[in-house]
Amino acid sequence: MATSITPRGQQHVDRLERIWAERPGLVGWVTTTDHKRIGIMYFFTALAFFGAGGVEALLIRTQLIGPNHHLLSPAAYDQVFTMHGITMIFLFVIPMTTGAFGNYLIPLMIGARDMAFPRMNALSYWIFLASGIFMYVALLSGHAPNAGWFDYVPLASKQYDPGTNIDFYGYGLIFNGIASTAASINFIVTIFKMRAPGLSLNRMPLFCFAFLAVSFALLFALPSLSVAALFLELDRQLGFHFYDPAQGGDPLLWQNLFWIFGHPEVYIIILPAFGIATSIIPTFVHRKMVFFPLVALAEILVAFLGFGVWLHHMFTVGFATLTTVYFAAASLIIVIPSAIQLFAWIATILTGKPEFKTPLLFIVGFIIYFMIGGLSGITLAAIPFDQQVHDSYYIVAHFHFVIFGAAVFPILGGMYFWFPKLTGRMYHEGVGKLSFWLTFLGTLVTFFPMHILGLLGMPRRNYTYPPDLGWSFLNALETIGSYVLAVGLVMIVANLLISYFRGAEAGNDPFGGDTLEWSTTSPPPPYNYAVIPTVTSAYPMWDKEDREADSRRLDRGEGLLERGHETPATTVQDAEWDEILSMPSHSVWPAVSALMLAGIFSMLLLHHYWIAFGFLVVGALVLFRWHVKGVTA
Amino acid sequence: MTGTSAGGPTRSVTAETAPQAAAVARQRLAQPNGWWGMALFLCAEVTLFGTLLATYFYLDFGAHRWPPAGIKPPSVLLPLLATAGLISTTVPMLLAVRASRAGSRGRTAWLIGFALIIQCGYLAGQVLLFRHDLRQFSPQRTAYGSIYFTMLAAHHAHVLLGVLLDIGVLWHVAARKLSNYWLIAVRCVALYWHVVNVIAVLVVLTQLSPSL
Amino acid sequence: MLVAGCGKQSILSTRSPQAHNIMLLWWWMLGAAVVVFLGALGLLVLAWFRRGTAGLPFFGERESAPEAMVVMFGIAVPVVVLVVLFGVANLYLIRQTSPPSPRSTAMTIDVIGHQWWWEVRYPGSAAVTANEIHIPVRTRVNIVATTADVIHSFWVPALNRKIDMIPGRRNRVLLYASSPGVYRGQCSQFCGLQHAHMSMYVDAQPASQYRAWLANMGAPARTPSTAAARTGEQVFMGAQCASCHRIAGTPAQADVGPDLSHLATRSSLAALTIPNVPSELAAWIRNPQAIKPGDRMPDLGLSDNQIASLVAYLDALR
Ligand code: HEA
Ligand code: HEA
Ligand code: HEC
Ligand code: CUA
Ligand SMILES: [Cu+2]
Repeated sequence: MATSITPRGQQHVDRLERIWAERPGLVGWVTTTDHKRIGIMYFFTALAFFGAGGVEALLIRTQLIGPNHHLLSPAAYDQVFTMHGITMIFLFVIPMTTGAFGNYLIPLMIGARDMAFPRMNALSYWIFLASGIFMYVALLSGHAPNAGWFDYVPLASKQYDPGTNIDFYGYGLIFNGIASTAASINFIVTIFKMRAPGLSLNRMPLFCFAFLAVSFALLFALPSLSVAALFLELDRQLGFHFYDPAQGGDPLLWQNLFWIFGHPEVYIIILPAFGIATSIIPTFVHRKMVFFPLVALAEILVAFLGFGVWLHHMFTVGFATLTTVYFAAASLIIVIPSAIQLFAWIATILTGKPEFKTPLLFIVGFIIYFMIGGLSGITLAAIPFDQQVHDSYYIVAHFHFVIFGAAVFPILGGMYFWFPKLTGRMYHEGVGKLSFWLTFLGTLVTFFPMHILGLLGMPRRNYTYPPDLGWSFLNALETIGSYVLAVGLVMIVANLLISYFRGAEAGNDPFGGDTLEWSTTSPPPPYNYAVIPTVTSAYPMWDKEDREADSRRLDRGEGLLERGHETPATTVQDAEWDEILSMPSHSVWPAVSALMLAGIFSMLLLHHYWIAFGFLVVGALVLFRWHVKGVTA
Repeated sequence: MTGTSAGGPTRSVTAETAPQAAAVARQRLAQPNGWWGMALFLCAEVTLFGTLLATYFYLDFGAHRWPPAGIKPPSVLLPLLATAGLISTTVPMLLAVRASRAGSRGRTAWLIGFALIIQCGYLAGQVLLFRHDLRQFSPQRTAYGSIYFTMLAAHHAHVLLGVLLDIGVLWHVAARKLSNYWLIAVRCVALYWHVVNVIAVLVVLTQLSPSL
Repeated sequence: MLVAGCGKQSILSTRSPQAHNIMLLWWWMLGAAVVVFLGALGLLVLAWFRRGTAGLPFFGERESAPEAMVVMFGIAVPVVVLVVLFGVANLYLIRQTSPPSPRSTAMTIDVIGHQWWWEVRYPGSAAVTANEIHIPVRTRVNIVATTADVIHSFWVPALNRKIDMIPGRRNRVLLYASSPGVYRGQCSQFCGLQHAHMSMYVDAQPASQYRAWLANMGAPARTPSTAAARTGEQVFMGAQCASCHRIAGTPAQADVGPDLSHLATRSSLAALTIPNVPSELAAWIRNPQAIKPGDRMPDLGLSDNQIASLVAYLDALR
């Protein structure tokens, strides 16, 4: 299908190259508004945080390798496990899925040339980076958050935690939330309005459905966290009493607000994984997804229902039985859309011609671990049992299977899958398979014994444990598992790194993928597609005629949009071509605005309220100038 | 091909004058991206206020006395009057959008300016009431005070932001041009105010609930 | 019997009907989960071997066969399984783990969580102790769980579910031991630096032994009988000990730390961190921060002699 380009077509391509060129070198990266470059920056930043969170995990595991070990002091352990949770969730999975995968792939998959708001996209990235640095300054200075990732009050109140540790948490999460809110608005508008003409909602890849659901979930979940963190800081800094029962406040208010955010959050973590799985499976089993509409509906339902179950994290706080029973029922109902998807994947694999290459192997691993983690999740919705194992290692086992086994495995598989698209090179298949088996086994050995430890009564968040409770062997085993896991993960990164320089040429479409991104060159040009692609089904790459028509149109100079940074905007449902947009180009203002925000939060943390206000004013001026100058491209 | 409906999509960015922009706006099949962006942002804001109001009632239902002993229930008249004034600006904002879609730059500017005056008056009045309340009771003494002042401050901050948005749009529309971009901006600001007005009603009803 | 229960903290070796039923629930859930898991895994294994054979086992070769399979396994089977689970666990079993109705229990014990130890009070008696809760066997006991500072969680896996101790709330949980024994429990809500060292024993005793124990606990502390112990008492009252601890019948009446009136009857110190033997007691008094870093009891810089006499005094408080 990759027909060679004729000289006339080449002229158009050259013209587009000139129009979409960005500034060279480092300046180009700082000022870029290209969703692909932003995606790449997200990728490396999130990967670095994964490394940091992984090192913290290994510290935890090394501390727990045997009873009464003192590698870390209790104070250090508390900071390390808290930062591990925060890092993995807020600085790794969310930015990696929405930021890196979403940013890079969604415009490509929907045949757009950029996100709906390219500069806001850059702004999201810079805010995310700044918030990550903000929280890691805390760790490096020895004042990292230390009350766990859900940070229950009153342990996190000024009285019991007087340092700045918790303030890094409170401000850091509000800060980080701004980035995610902006990003999710951007994704929704992009998916709604920027699809190539003809790509109506019912032809949209399931990947995009998943990201649509995630973005909505983020949009509605984050305010609750931000408000909770705002109350926390008002209590801590100004002596308010939201969480203080002596003055009419309530510590459970925090728990409710946190989990109203926190539970949707865990589905926010898993949904992109579903999306990646539904991209990889059809490609490698050479078959369309079974029951496409039901799977799309299930993806949306998971995100929606996820807002009604938060209380299952609080079964032991002593609520009335009726209340808890309601939320347990909701938690069980949410199993159905998950089960639908699970069996749709299995049915697709079973009725296709599966080619078990590395990406598909990771998806099979994902399916297996999602079953383990999901089934243990069901046991937790049995209230009496949850009341036994709550806050024990059984919970740690549950959520690492769903989070690491189920949410991260597709990320790893997706890294292999789209690597050729990003780089034009193939990864090494043999090393890829080996890395899969190492991570697969490592995960099993690390996290499976945690179920048993939980049943044997080991509470979580213990910096050490006594030798006489029969916990030592399993803990040692887990630690060994985590080392194996680390080797597997490093092998993945090394495989990709070496392949970047040495890998074989990949071509545009090495796997016979089904979605549009495979039709453009690897790596894609800054404008993604020379001609705006024609789409007539949900599997545009398998519609050979459409793709051939596209290359003929390039010759004829049709559908090029070459008067500036142009891309089509279409109607929400049917993707009728509505208008031609002229997108803004590169700009420093996003990075500068993020810097101003960093200034505001740092000064708040240091109690320099007037300087913070100064940053706010300057930031407002920056925004003003950004909008008044940069309106038209 | 600006503003012409000869089949094909419009290059909306070339609509530089008010009549051109108005023509593009009328011809559009879907809401423009900017409108969607604002609408979604407002979803987040409404959720944020939902959380604040839910917190208010959560603490209310958990309390023995609400407001706690020593704090008078809020007086009803002034806040209600102020809110009525604020929501009356829905009309000029609606008309401003109409005027902009009719291609009338002058009328758009006048209507926004008119709304802006009332909105500023509301903000000034509310700031005075806020200071008055602060002298009566403190956010640092009881959870009631904490949520009361936080909720109101959050709302007033949104009014302030709206005023700033008004000023930006007004300046541009009156002094420069009503291009496609700024026409969408007018619609976004109007949408913003509609939502803030609704929030104003909910907030004031919550604020006054002990006295109602 | 006594030995079997001791030192264990497992939800799988239970000594009460409540914990036992939860354990049964667990085994049944595990069984069902294994069946579901192996079934689905079997399909994946099948996919490995079939690689492109047409049709599906059981569902045939119809176009809609895969969709039928999704509806069957993705909706129908789970709905049945979940409804059953919901009924058994959340409608039936939950009644046993709900807070006991006031009239169904024979007695009440107040347990108050502190960073990082448990205060235990027996309403209707002067008895106050720490980290070791004695209850009569085969008796329904109502535990009132509260906290003096942050959130803790009261959990004795062999006997019943856990319950959080939350500022501003009075939570309750039933404790019932069907056989005598010592059951280990541990705080399971993260509560700060020494959350890992906040454990306790529940000692279920035959009624007569229990009554004797309670009577002793309610009585004032013994007056020291040896010279060393008398010096110890003076040190105790003179050094800062008395500003934090209570010893019934003496001027020491503070309630920052555990009640020490009958310290020598306890088998361990500092919420099960170290055994209660003279050498460990001395080590604790010399340097509690080395044993529980970050603990609320400070290093007091006492001399070896002072410590020896304190140990002699405390060790006689039976
Ligand atoms: C990716 C994240 C993710 C996902 C997808 C899930 C999925 C689920 N989780 Fe989990 N959960 C977490 C992340 C996640 N969880 C985290 C991070 C915590 C702890 C936070 C903390 O305390 O730090 C937690 C804690 C947690 C608790 C609280 C435990 C406690 O603290 O006491 C509960 C209780 O109900 C629960 C339930 C569930 C349920 C019912 C599902 C369901 O959605 C699962 C659905 C999936 C399946 C069921 C498997 C596939 C289906 C089949 C195999 C079909 C066949 C099924 C049948 C026949 C029944 N989870
Ligand atoms: C997405 C979420 C996520 C992920 C991926 C992980 C991954 C891991 N987790 Fe994590 N964990 C949490 C979320 C996550 N965790 C949360 C939310 C908690 C609760 C915290 C709390 O209680 O507050 C928790 C708690 C938690 C505990 C319990 C601590 C306690 O209660 O005391 C343990 C203990 O073993 C643990 C272990 C691990 C291990 C071994 C991994 C391993 O899988 C990690 C393996 C990763 C690596 C080894 C990194 C390899 C490096 C690279 C690939 C990058 C190389 C590149 C560069 C350097 C650029 N975790
Ligand atoms: C500032 C308060 C404070 C002072 C002073 C203090 N203690 Fe303590 N003590 C505590 C606290 C709090 C604990 C509970 C520690 C824990 O388990 O975490 C404790 C625990 C103990 C215990 C263990 C009790 C048990 O049941 O496990 C002993 C014994 C003890 N202290 C003796 C002493 C002696 C002797 C002195 C004086 C030399 C002293 N304490 C001074 C606060 C204090
Ligand atoms: Cu008390 Cu953990
Ligand atoms: Cu949950």
